[in-house]
Amino acid sequence: MSADQAGQQAPGTAGQGTADDRGTTFRAVEGGNQMQSGEKLLVEAYAVIWIVVLVFVASMFRRQRRLDRRIDTLEAALQKARAKSGGE
Amino acid sequence: MATTEALAAGTKVETSGSRSRGDVGFYTVLALCAAAFLITLQVIFFKAPVESSMGIVQKIFYFHVPIAYSMYVGAAVCFLGSAGYLARGTRGWDALARAGAECAVVMGVLVLVTGALWGAKAWGVYWTWDPRLTTALLSVLIYMAYVVLRAFAGDGDSERKFAAALGVLGATNLPIIHYSVQKWGGNHPKVITSGGGGLKHPDMKLALMLGFLTFTLLAVVLIWTRVRIELAASRLSEAEEEALELGVGEE
Repeated sequence: MSADQAGQQAPGTAGQGTADDRGTTFRAVEGGNQMQSGEKLLVEAYAVIWIVVLVFVASMFRRQRRLDRRIDTLEAALQKARAKSGGE
Repeated sequence: MATTEALAAGTKVETSGSRSRGDVGFYTVLALCAAAFLITLQVIFFKAPVESSMGIVQKIFYFHVPIAYSMYVGAAVCFLGSAGYLARGTRGWDALARAGAECAVVMGVLVLVTGALWGAKAWGVYWTWDPRLTTALLSVLIYMAYVVLRAFAGDGDSERKFAAALGVLGATNLPIIHYSVQKWGGNHPKVITSGGGGLKHPDMKLALMLGFLTFTLLAVVLIWTRVRIELAASRLSEAEEEALELGVGEE
């Protein structure tokens, strides 16, 4: 059987009846899962908490790196000035 | 020569002095926060029972509500700093306001996301224009506007004053968020005041209390760290200006 044939037969083989039946009745599926399981939502919520907090901490780290660079520039300028005034 | 050395020495002395004053307190709060996180996670996942009607997803509640409270803490700090800056005009108050606003944005985003994930299970939708959700979103947008304003509008006195006015006015939305459920109803439960959220068991109450403690400490750590960076940046700016006035680093 080709993949196309399998795809066309899938609704019929599931035993769901006609399109009208599917629109007016709901049938329970053995072993079916909810689309949004509580466990999945819980894990997603905790993951988001950690990720957002870590992104904020990383942004603070980047700000400190920028400050370090500015301090380096200032220190280099001060050293130059000291060397200059020492040479005079 | 003497002035440049004094400038360099003065900067160093101030830095080491402020470090020794603040470090012990900061690391104490940080250690308490880490310990509180571990204990809270243990209580939430291993001690607090699973709620009967909502199932395990109800455990989001133990962080969602404390995070909302931390957003209030950040916003209140922003209000305090903004009012202080408008009254005194010093960089310390401004740094406090900026740190508070950023904390409010971080916690606000977390409240909206964790609430949406909980809502997906409880209500079947991620978002609904419920009074509490809408007012909370409005508050997050106000503090986002504050952060964007500070990031892109320069760092002059007028920009700082404009941001401080926003910080003061933005706080007026906080009581509206809090009383929105009582006044206008909606889907959001009256969580604490009416004993909702499934807090029937003492371990559930314990988990929530620990959540409050943990996120209060986290908010303090984040705000404190951000204030220190902001104060260091402003001190560095002053040192750079002074150095330029003395003719250092002009070439």
